[in-house]
Amino acid sequence: MSAPTAARSAARGPDGRGPGGVGATTPARGRGRSSAVRRAPWMLMAPFLVIFTLSFLLPIVYAVGQSFTRVERSGLFGEDGTTSGFGGLANYRQALEGTAFVESVGRVLLFGVVQVTVMIVLATVLALLLESASARWPGAFRTIYFLPYGIPGVIATILWSFLYVPGLSPVVDVAGLLGIDVDFLGPSTVLWSIANIVTWAYAGYNMLIIVAQLKSIPGDLYEAARVDGAGPLRIAWSLQLPLIRPALLLAIVFSIIGTLQLFAEPQVLQSVSTAISNEYTPNLAAYNSAFNNNDYGVAAAQSVLIALAAFVLSGLFLALTNRKDRS
Amino acid sequence: MTTLSRRSLLRGGALGAAGLAGLAGCGTVGAAPTTTGTIPPAASGEVVRLQYWAWLKDLQQVCDVWNAQRPDIQVEAVWIPGGNAGGYQKLFAAIAAGSGPDLAQVEMRNVPSFLLQSGLVDVSRYGFDQVAGQYDRALVEQVSFLDAAWAVPQDSGPMATFYRPDLLEEVGAGPPATWAEWLETARAVHAADPNRWLESFPVGDTSVFLAYASQAGAVWFTPEDDRWLVNMTDDATMAVARHFDTAVSEGVVNTSLAPYSPGWFAAVGDGRIAALTSGSWGDALLEGATGAEGLFRVAPMPVWSDLPGSYGSSYLGGSTAALMAGSEHPYEALEFATWMTTSPEGIDAMIRYSGIGWSPATDYIGAARQEGSEFFGGQAYGTEVFAPAAQEQNLDWTWPPIAQQVMDGLGDRFRTVVTGGTTMVDAVAAMEGDVVEIFREKGLSAEVVS
Repeated sequence: MSAPTAARSAARGPDGRGPGGVGATTPARGRGRSSAVRRAPWMLMAPFLVIFTLSFLLPIVYAVGQSFTRVERSGLFGEDGTTSGFGGLANYRQALEGTAFVESVGRVLLFGVVQVTVMIVLATVLALLLESASARWPGAFRTIYFLPYGIPGVIATILWSFLYVPGLSPVVDVAGLLGIDVDFLGPSTVLWSIANIVTWAYAGYNMLIIVAQLKSIPGDLYEAARVDGAGPLRIAWSLQLPLIRPALLLAIVFSIIGTLQLFAEPQVLQSVSTAISNEYTPNLAAYNSAFNNNDYGVAAAQSVLIALAAFVLSGLFLALTNRKDRS
Repeated sequence: MTTLSRRSLLRGGALGAAGLAGLAGCGTVGAAPTTTGTIPPAASGEVVRLQYWAWLKDLQQVCDVWNAQRPDIQVEAVWIPGGNAGGYQKLFAAIAAGSGPDLAQVEMRNVPSFLLQSGLVDVSRYGFDQVAGQYDRALVEQVSFLDAAWAVPQDSGPMATFYRPDLLEEVGAGPPATWAEWLETARAVHAADPNRWLESFPVGDTSVFLAYASQAGAVWFTPEDDRWLVNMTDDATMAVARHFDTAVSEGVVNTSLAPYSPGWFAAVGDGRIAALTSGSWGDALLEGATGAEGLFRVAPMPVWSDLPGSYGSSYLGGSTAALMAGSEHPYEALEFATWMTTSPEGIDAMIRYSGIGWSPATDYIGAARQEGSEFFGGQAYGTEVFAPAAQEQNLDWTWPPIAQQVMDGLGDRFRTVVTGGTTMVDAVAAMEGDVVEIFREKGLSAEVVS
């Protein structure tokens, strides 16, 4: 260990302070050092802060600014003058007045209530099974369940769309042979076809979060439970479930945010399903405003609303579960 | 959470507000369209380099034909995603940044929305009017606004009906000559085999419905002085809407398989779709349907025989080579675009390498299109069907700067027609009510005059 340390302190030489620097500046040492100590964290954080500001804070401020900007034109195309300026809440009014956007929020909420529940239950059951004493090849199955998460959402949706489209889908063909007429892409079913893709993709990921938490449960707790005569079901219910609560909460909050941001799956399925409108989900609506309608102000307002909704919903959920904790 | 004091919150708020005030000034639009002044041609001896952003395949091969002859004007093709799939977003971003290519592929119906973003150069000022007579008149009309032309027509899509004679013969029918016959045939085809339809009607892609309305003689948008007059509920449009309401409610057209979607191709291959009324460019796409080789033929599209102001055909799709506002060499760019779209050499190269739609030039449809095609049983449908169709067009149809929003909004409403929520007649009327508001949101003025 000492050799690398020596090498490292020798390497400090060329930067001007040198190995002997500390001793040489004894009089100023106290003040100089404390200001250096004060500066050091900022200097170390500077690369992060610069990128964080440029790629995260500024775009947010810019988007919020855009959401208050309106364009006024005169003439057929604005050829007699075009001005853009502060428009107050006009963009927000326009976003909320359009029934399609509000409906899309309702749609993803319904989606979230059903899909997040199904997925979290599935992920929990898989995690408990894999971590149970009688599990065979848990490593292999963990990988298999997690694998769909490694496939990008767009690719996954294209793959699934081949199982949904009548004429291409073996599932539809087999159901047809059995006399069942299934339509995965109809107006009443396509939301659940999307839920299926999302569940397939993310159940394994959430399972992994829960598995990690399960692994952190000390072995003596299991031992104590078994000594007390608890069977596997009792252990799962009274020991594992309460202890993986934090992981479950984390998974649920992530899922709520993810649900509100539903975009790639409906956008890709749009090409095979006539039931998906341009404002099917809030994010799709914002995309449509920005890139089909060239209305960046409204798109910004919609994005801000989506972010606020995610913030409020996650906050509400955490507040509710925290209150339960205390009681 | 205690570290976040009230003071720091206030400071954050003040910073945010300052940021907002600063940013509210940054608009997303540039200046108004430039209508005065011209950039002179480059001095002789200078080599001009142009960029053309388009989603045509192998466009560079076409440019190379030109580049070989014109060392003084070298054109580079840059591929962008097709239209709303990403290409326009790139172009609009370039316009907002004051950069971008010299030429860009812009669909006919999107020319006005590019005009709205101040993205185009008035090509009349660079001599387009002298060559305008070489193009199909309806196309020149569609790019003309404010007493000037704003883009060079590059290809179009005169409509006709691709059909399967064998499947229609099974019900004793031929290609329908009128829309009334079309409905009868659709009923007969579906009655004979409940798994077969005469056609698919795309509820999501309303450009087809607009093309039918235009064929029927409708003119939804008319510029007048500095405002737009809107008339989407005239007799012609209502007749078209009623016609397809009937077809959809009876279930004799397929509404779940949009034309050119994977499921639709599978259905065509299985013989579950007997016909397709579409733009001329549909031929190349149809050839991708495995199992349909040699089975299709082409006939003129059905006409609205009981509508006196209707036309023989309509345009579906079509694009332009538009001169972008940032171009430093508009003369040279226009020269290239004119060569590409009117000279036999340019047109043949565009057909051969890029598979463009129908040639916009009145005099030359392209060598390859004068002959028959094997897929269509050797029928010379280019000269027989599409060349006449290109001349039977509604010259008054004008695209508004909000075309995409009108089509999308209508599409969202049409989707509920399938579920029985509404009718196309009501959907069009409701859309008309929204259109003035959409114009107003763009800062433009409009009025319903129906």
